[in-house]
Amino acid sequence: MPSEALYQRLSEAIISGDRNKLLAIVEEALREGIAPSDIIERGMSPGMREVGERFARYEIYLPEMMMAAEAWEGAMKVLEPRLLEAGGGQKRVGRVVLGTVKGDIHSIGKNIVGAMLKMSGFEVFDLGVDVAASAFVTKAEEFEADIIAASALMSTTIPQQRSIIEHLEARGVRQRYCVLVGGGSATQEWADSIGADGYGRTAGDAVALALKAVGKG
Amino acid sequence: MLNFASVVERAFSGPICTERDFELGIFVPNLRRVVEKYAIKYDPQSPVPADDDLADRVWQAGIEFLAETGVYCLDTERRILFSREEIETALKSGPRGSILGEGEDAKAMPRRFPEDETPPWCSVGPTSVPVSNEWNYINLVKGNAENPLADSITIPCLTNVDGRQIVGGSPLGIEGAIRAVLLTREGMRRAGRPGMPIVNGVTTATRSQEHIAAHHFGLRRTDALEIGTIHEMKIDFDSMNKVAYSLAAGSLIFAENGVILGGLAGGPAGVAVVTAAYNPVDLLILRGVVQHPFPTHFDLGVTSARDTIWARSLANQAVTRNSSLPVVNVGYSAAGPMTKMLLYEHSAWVIASVVSGGSVEVGASARGTALDYTSPMEPLFGSEVAHAVAGMSRKEANQIVNALLEKYESKLRDPPVGKKYQECYDVATGKPSQEFIELYREVRREMADQFGLELPPSSPYL
Repeated sequence: MPSEALYQRLSEAIISGDRNKLLAIVEEALREGIAPSDIIERGMSPGMREVGERFARYEIYLPEMMMAAEAWEGAMKVLEPRLLEAGGGQKRVGRVVLGTVKGDIHSIGKNIVGAMLKMSGFEVFDLGVDVAASAFVTKAEEFEADIIAASALMSTTIPQQRSIIEHLEARGVRQRYCVLVGGGSATQEWADSIGADGYGRTAGDAVALALKAVGKG
Repeated sequence: MLNFASVVERAFSGPICTERDFELGIFVPNLRRVVEKYAIKYDPQSPVPADDDLADRVWQAGIEFLAETGVYCLDTERRILFSREEIETALKSGPRGSILGEGEDAKAMPRRFPEDETPPWCSVGPTSVPVSNEWNYINLVKGNAENPLADSITIPCLTNVDGRQIVGGSPLGIEGAIRAVLLTREGMRRAGRPGMPIVNGVTTATRSQEHIAAHHFGLRRTDALEIGTIHEMKIDFDSMNKVAYSLAAGSLIFAENGVILGGLAGGPAGVAVVTAAYNPVDLLILRGVVQHPFPTHFDLGVTSARDTIWARSLANQAVTRNSSLPVVNVGYSAAGPMTKMLLYEHSAWVIASVVSGGSVEVGASARGTALDYTSPMEPLFGSEVAHAVAGMSRKEANQIVNALLEKYESKLRDPPVGKKYQECYDVATGKPSQEFIELYREVRREMADQFGLELPPSSPYL
């Protein structure tokens, strides 16, 4: 089946993280009349699943994850309008606002979590590092997020995770969001003490918690 | 060597690029290219490789990678670039034999080579493990300073000031950093070693102003401020401010690089190359007297995993064969205090480090993050192992490290939590429980019986 070969090539382009190649194959598939939903579900999604599995087996690492996620996002910019035209839309599992807390500039763990969340179908807004507590809350409201995920590496910066929860409470919106904490200095005991909804030691833990929070886990 | 002012100037004038483009457009492809060009391949069966040619290829790859990539300044969004000639000149004119400590505790930092008989420098202490109260803090410093093989102290991280949780960047951060230094000095005085150097000034401090404040309350010129790069090959002005202050104050610097295995550097081969590439960065930007590496596993959060041990061992060999900037390796283990596993983990990474030309800083337990999960016993054991293997061949070390890994690597994800300091030590006397002493003696015997390792007889617990 010619379509099967195309799906295979779409999947391979995701796995190799080649954004330009993926875009070219997406255009080719559209020209051949393949439905955008099939391009995503039968071509790109299996590639994303494979990337996630290889990452879990330590066969690939953060750069490959980031490139696969970027390739995916590039293709979705082309496919999403077509999906809407066809009366559908992109199926998002949920929305996450992600960042490293104020005073902390460590990004690698956060980036791994971000890439894995995207792989799992979440729409992620990454605020970056050194993010004020109020910025997490403001962006969560703008982005209509389901989850706020805050990372902190240092024992002198984890108090900022509590500050996020205090800001949510001060605005009266605490119950709207699932707050997940992680990073080198966080522990389950800490998460419980500040009233967080979950603690993930690893990126895999964070994704499992996020899926559970949106009823998919 | 290129002066620091010129480095700062380059942070303002170097090529502009976004952080994303630096990461995925420059760093990653440059690294992949040199790893392939120099045929750097991970061998899980040799956590302690013994291939000088491979070590030198890692070094060449690291230098080429640095010259092509540079270091990204987060504040100016520019690359700080160095020519090959500038890198070579820095390596030739770097610091040698820096003296740390005062009085009877003053000592020159040794340059060591792979399989070198020169005793390694041993820094001991909790290595940033958070500590809940000042009494535990002083006792931990005192207990570590009483270690007869200790050359310097690696201080814990105080978590509160009079019950208020320390927040970096706040006045509590300033007071916490000052108090950490004063408590450390007191702990060392009680141990009868007032001249011991502190080499991780100041763990409790996050920002440059906290380092500076602490320096005015008891840090000496013969102590070292610990200043680090940012993952990976990045720097910010706050870290450069610490360097600027240290240079003005005439203070020493331990230059810290914790390459994340699984992060931008990718797998073990990339981690080894980037760790080697940091050596001249530590001279040129951080102005260090020591390279202080700790390649850490992204998922397990430790340096005692097989792949991180391989990357550390190989990077050590690459650096110590080609650069005069000494290496003091830091270790993070998974298990908690008073467990056999923690002693095995520390032993594995310590042996790999020492036979590969490094000195050691032992050691963080329970991944360095669990409150009060630290004791002076494991650093004592680790420093004994470090002295016992000085001069050992890498081939022999590889057999021992493989055997040690077999004892614990399957438990790295869910290690035994062990006991808090106050659960395995008498907090009034600062002495370990009898049960802990027996466990320590048992593993000492194992090291002798299974591996022929005769640990020094200087221990107070024999």
